[in-house]
Amino acid sequence: MKAKLVLFLFFLFSYTVSQAQESTVTGTVTSAEDNLPIPGVNVLVKGTNRGTSTDFDGNYSLQVAKGEVLEFSSIGFKSVDITIDSQTTLNVGLVSDVEALGEIVVIGYGTQRKVDLTGAITTVKAEDIEKTPNSNVMQSLQGKVAGVQIVSSGAPGASPTVRIRGVNSFSAGGGPLYVVDGMWYENIDFLDNSQIETVSVLKDVSSIAIFGQRGVNGVIIIETKSGKFEMKPVITYNGYTGVQYARNVVKMANAEQFTTMAYESGSAPDIQFVENAIARFGRSRVNPNLPDVNTDWYKEVLRPATISSHSIGVTGGGESASYGVSTNYFSQDGILDMKNEYERFNIQSNVDVKVTDRLRIGTNSIFSNALRYNPENSAWFQAYFAVPILPVFDYVNPDAVTTPYSDATVLGYRGSQNPFPVMRYNENQLKIRKVLTSIYGEFDIVPEKLTFKTSYYHDYSTISERNVRSLYYISPNSNRQQPDTSIRRAEQDYSTQIWDNTLTYKDQFGNHNLTLLAGSSYRDEQVNSFSATGNDIQGIAFESSWYLNFADPTKFNDNVSEIGDRFYALAYFGRLEYGFDDRYLVNATVRTEGDAKFPREIWKTTPQIGVGWVISQESFMQENGVFDFLKLRGSWGQLPNAALGGSAGTRTVSQVTLAIQDLLTNGIISTNDFTDLKREILEETNVGLSARMFQNKLTLEADYYIRDTKDLVVPVIQRITNQSLIKNAGEMRNEGLELSADWSQRVSDNWSFSIGANIGTNKNTITKIESDQGYFDTGEAEFRQRLIVGEPINSFFGVEVAGVYQNAAEVAADPVAVANNLVPGDLKYVDQNGDDVIDDADRVVLGSYLPTLTYGGNMQVSYKNFDLSVAVSGQSGNSILNRKRGEVIFTNDTNIDADFAINRWHGEGTTNSYPSSAARRKGWNQKMSSFFVEDGMYFRIQNIQLAYTIPSGSLLGQRSPETKITFTADRPFTFFKYNGFNPEVSDGIDRQTYPIPAVYTVGINIKI
Amino acid sequence: MKNLKLVLKPMALLTVLGMLFTACSEKLEENDGQLATDDLDFTNMSDMILPVYGAYSVTYSRGWEDPLLLGVRGDDVNAGGLGDQPLFAQTDLYNYDNGFWMFNQVWINFYKDLADIINSMELLERYKVFATGQDITRADQYIAETKVLSAYQHLNMAKLWGNIFIIKTTDFDAETNNGVDTKMEVLQYVSDLMDEAIPFLPDVRPNERVDIPGGVTKYTALAIKAMANLEMENYQGVADATGQIISSSKFSLFPDFYELFKKPGELSNENLFELQFSDYNQSSGAANNHEYGPFGPANWTPVVKTADPGWGFYEPSVKFIKFMLDRGETKRLLTSVLFTPDGISQIKSDPSYATLPNFISNVTPDGDQINNYARAKFASGKHYLPSNQLTEGRNNYGSSKNFIVIRYSEILLMYAEALTRGASGTTMTADQAVNTVRVRADMAPLSGVTSDQVMEEKFAELAMEWGVRYFDMIRLNKYDELSYDGRTFSADKELLPYPQAQLDLLPLENN
Repeated sequence: MKAKLVLFLFFLFSYTVSQAQESTVTGTVTSAEDNLPIPGVNVLVKGTNRGTSTDFDGNYSLQVAKGEVLEFSSIGFKSVDITIDSQTTLNVGLVSDVEALGEIVVIGYGTQRKVDLTGAITTVKAEDIEKTPNSNVMQSLQGKVAGVQIVSSGAPGASPTVRIRGVNSFSAGGGPLYVVDGMWYENIDFLDNSQIETVSVLKDVSSIAIFGQRGVNGVIIIETKSGKFEMKPVITYNGYTGVQYARNVVKMANAEQFTTMAYESGSAPDIQFVENAIARFGRSRVNPNLPDVNTDWYKEVLRPATISSHSIGVTGGGESASYGVSTNYFSQDGILDMKNEYERFNIQSNVDVKVTDRLRIGTNSIFSNALRYNPENSAWFQAYFAVPILPVFDYVNPDAVTTPYSDATVLGYRGSQNPFPVMRYNENQLKIRKVLTSIYGEFDIVPEKLTFKTSYYHDYSTISERNVRSLYYISPNSNRQQPDTSIRRAEQDYSTQIWDNTLTYKDQFGNHNLTLLAGSSYRDEQVNSFSATGNDIQGIAFESSWYLNFADPTKFNDNVSEIGDRFYALAYFGRLEYGFDDRYLVNATVRTEGDAKFPREIWKTTPQIGVGWVISQESFMQENGVFDFLKLRGSWGQLPNAALGGSAGTRTVSQVTLAIQDLLTNGIISTNDFTDLKREILEETNVGLSARMFQNKLTLEADYYIRDTKDLVVPVIQRITNQSLIKNAGEMRNEGLELSADWSQRVSDNWSFSIGANIGTNKNTITKIESDQGYFDTGEAEFRQRLIVGEPINSFFGVEVAGVYQNAAEVAADPVAVANNLVPGDLKYVDQNGDDVIDDADRVVLGSYLPTLTYGGNMQVSYKNFDLSVAVSGQSGNSILNRKRGEVIFTNDTNIDADFAINRWHGEGTTNSYPSSAARRKGWNQKMSSFFVEDGMYFRIQNIQLAYTIPSGSLLGQRSPETKITFTADRPFTFFKYNGFNPEVSDGIDRQTYPIPAVYTVGINIKI
Repeated sequence: MKNLKLVLKPMALLTVLGMLFTACSEKLEENDGQLATDDLDFTNMSDMILPVYGAYSVTYSRGWEDPLLLGVRGDDVNAGGLGDQPLFAQTDLYNYDNGFWMFNQVWINFYKDLADIINSMELLERYKVFATGQDITRADQYIAETKVLSAYQHLNMAKLWGNIFIIKTTDFDAETNNGVDTKMEVLQYVSDLMDEAIPFLPDVRPNERVDIPGGVTKYTALAIKAMANLEMENYQGVADATGQIISSSKFSLFPDFYELFKKPGELSNENLFELQFSDYNQSSGAANNHEYGPFGPANWTPVVKTADPGWGFYEPSVKFIKFMLDRGETKRLLTSVLFTPDGISQIKSDPSYATLPNFISNVTPDGDQINNYARAKFASGKHYLPSNQLTEGRNNYGSSKNFIVIRYSEILLMYAEALTRGASGTTMTADQAVNTVRVRADMAPLSGVTSDQVMEEKFAELAMEWGVRYFDMIRLNKYDELSYDGRTFSADKELLPYPQAQLDLLPLENN
């Protein structure tokens, strides 16, 4: 047994099939229902690792000895065993297995038949994930799961924002809990898409319940690829390579539009700056009023970038052991033209062993090694604001070291504006290494009935950060001198251990099906973070001296820090799964959880229950001709939320420094911001319907939920200190409908198609505010957001624009305009209370960053060996605060987007929605208003893929593997109204967002 | 039997596991990585000084907006940075927008500091409980020092906004629930708080202090008391407090007016209160600096080539420059104003000033050359540190320069004003006080000074400093002085409106 296992591990790539006394059996596997061939059926000689799978036409061929048993199995069909006598041809018809179609779904600490579920769980399979070229599996889920909003991030290696059923907490990070092969993560950027077998999204509270408080934002269970017992080894290679391009780049005002704006602004210095540019860079020969410069800064900072991925894996298994081994490499360059890239190399292995009939053990390990160069996000910001009358290079500058980048201060502007110095002279490297290992043992105390399982997981991760700031000189305003050169090193290490123990009892008597689970989970999380910054780096020009040893050793004074945190949690849980006659279902869970963060309330117990009625099993539904399966589901549950930052239950002290007679002196300040926090409680009622109709061609899932967050923790701005402090002071409701429908049909031997759509609505409302004023302010003072009863969380709050004053008569007729010395070209606000004064009482809710509708769809057509698939996604109902335009409140001497420059008010009748150039600079027009809050809806062609499969067969007499070639365009087209280059802004405030590139790839997939 | 054994073995295992969990669950009581206030050792008297340092630290670390907003409305100075911060320029023109971010920022800067200072005071009270002997005296002195720092913050707030909240304890909700206190109540509170503190404060000059060199003393408290009384127009109170400072004979004017505002003038015998900064004479590493950028010229050719320019946000007014030229001022004009070539031409364009004295130049006495820039024509000289006084390797404008808040010449002039307005003082005459100030400035002595002459002297001596000029003018209702260069001042413009963010947060209302 052991020897066999060792053999497996050593000869994974060179397995052989024994040849004794065999003959070849060939045949075709078809569906008994419609006689169409079934591709991909596993054909295995029972008790051996010999086997094959059927080709596209359902054909197979295998060496078999007399007396051996062939097992034919495929998802959705009942397995068939046939003993070989002397036949050489064996055609098999498989009967579809309605229950198997429902398949097995991974739930917490166990599995359940899909037909028995009473909650809302959606599973996405590897083939859907593999279509999208990206570094993070969650990105692939965009538009695929009803009720799940994915907000992409374009930076290489960055994780998208994931929201399940809206935002359910103000303070707790909105991300779901990821459970990867049993281990808990908040971030799965280390996983390669090719490693993933299935992703299950647990949406409703009753499904999440078993995971307790960490699962409050939803749980995503990820199973990585592993072998199965009695499975023929499969070697898979998956790879693609491609290019990314920025799409929908926002047009900025060009030199001519900018100059026009400057002249119309009425600001003498700004006109002077244009003159200064003409004096320095020459006069345009086309238009003598312009300098001979017209820089499109976005064009300058963007670049096409490559992306590629290669992975190879082997899975298989024998009688008493199964295994999976894989390795993969992913690399992605950023579209920002600086050292901005991501590279990741992973290896993974897992082994499961049947030690005896009653004891099983196994181990799983993933090692991930990634190197990431983070972008300087401020470059996006600077590129937006840099004036077009400034060139990238200024060859008139004799003092520049090493590259003569231009500097707007030479024209008179306050800032140097040019984004290139930060892009060229800053470098941010992260080495992210992660090891996850786990072992488990499972013992049948009473075979087939009572099982004990213990699992131990340890995740150890380190992030080693190096930020280098090197030497340059452009002007007195834009330079980094030798003493200021610096290297910041930060070492973070995370160690998380989980120890789970469960006892499962399964029994069946009469029509009763019963599963009882009792378990405990212990968690220990540690983080340590050490950082130091060194200045005055000797040899900063050479990477070989990018170590703190080359810094001036006398200057570490203030620049070394270490922070640590350790956290323990313990939970006990139990679950009952009961079914009567496969008709009536009950699932109930209870979990008690202890958490050190809440000194006043360490332990918390919450209950959940789900019920289901499988109507299609009732006698009156038999032979109804429409429904193959119909189930009504309902669930209710409570879940505590503990992801609320550290304990705020005490006054704390912090260190400060000051100069006393040129002596660096330490002092302390104490804060009295303390609060007595309780956990938030999420309470949800979910009703749903699952159906399969028309011979299982149509699958329908519908869910309606109402979830209330009680004791909502909100940051309350404190009087006097103006610091915000979290308190339990409100309630919030999320309410929505999720629908998904899929139709798949095989039209003929050659043609098949499938089409699917999903939508999710979500209405977020604040239902209670415990505050004297009846609201809580959030966001920045100049860009106010507010929590108000009846409105969505963090609603944008300000005055509403009614139009633009067009002429002097209109100004004179309006007492508001007269009182505020307004002129034509200024914005006109709605006087909500009609008191002829525009003040804070006239502010209203201007929009919410949360979409009320998210949707997705997909269509796949297969003709012979060609597959074409198209996926779309979109959202609507949300708003984006165009903070870039709003930035004018802090700094005026910058560029503006072309849309504004072209549409600005410049005389009666020119526009009724944009202020004039002069008005843009006035405080009156800079108020937080509907002018800055824009519609955030978008519709996107998410993914188009064309694939051609070359079935396994023989090529020039040699056996050739099944090969699939794919051409993919990911996110090629996005349609939106928002005046920015990216409608995906996770918090709705667009200040410096990395653009989302379109990706075009060619891929190949080989299966042996 | 065999089956029972099969069941029992795991049961034993479970028992062991159960015991392990009990041990684990005890860990739920732990909490790493934070220092709770209650964990401080209040019996360790050598640490008692730390909260006082904390209070000084927050007082010193002033936002750059604070002195600008306090000062910009005076007729001595205008908003520079034209085209960059229009609402700052509007503020200078007495058009206030309560959504202007700077108003809220300054409000928060002062009140956040105040919260920290009151917190320090409460920590000190906890140390005092365990103190014995000399340490009780020390605790009392430290507490008195925090009162002086608190008074300074209250005074600034009252000057800017008038009616504000007096903060005495860290129960901020209770302190604000009953609405604002009137400006007079706040000023009286400041004056009384100083009376409370004075008996416990060191009877020395700040630069004579050994424990905290440059820290506040009895005389700082007296100066703040005098300022509060001046605002209340209680001139006898002003004369009494300033008289005590003068009669102590501890203070004298620093001989070189120009260098008083540079490094040589730091912790001089003239300074009653100054914010201390330092880059510790090291080319890199830790530095505690004020952001002087807004005061500086936006374009210059410094002697030390790497020195950063400023932003040009704070521009001495032509009215002030002409006023100084009319008086025949040299030292004080030279010290207060940095001239650009365009600025000099602008003055000369007025036929009455076609020829200017030789010392008017765009090159400073230290050789830094001020160039033209679009945002302003003049920059503040009192906030200028010559590039040759910068620590090598430190290029931030004014790096390491201290910021004087109260100096002896202001004390002398407050005293003189009080006397000319009918208060009695025996220390010296109003003439003596004014002439002490004039002598240093190379100005001829006056006799029989009038109130107006004292106000002119204050204009010349204290221009650009902390809004002294503006608050004098609104106290005296001299709206005509503030109505210059096209501005029109009226009584309703005296105070800033409460910031929108604070209206949303506090029981406040703008009229």
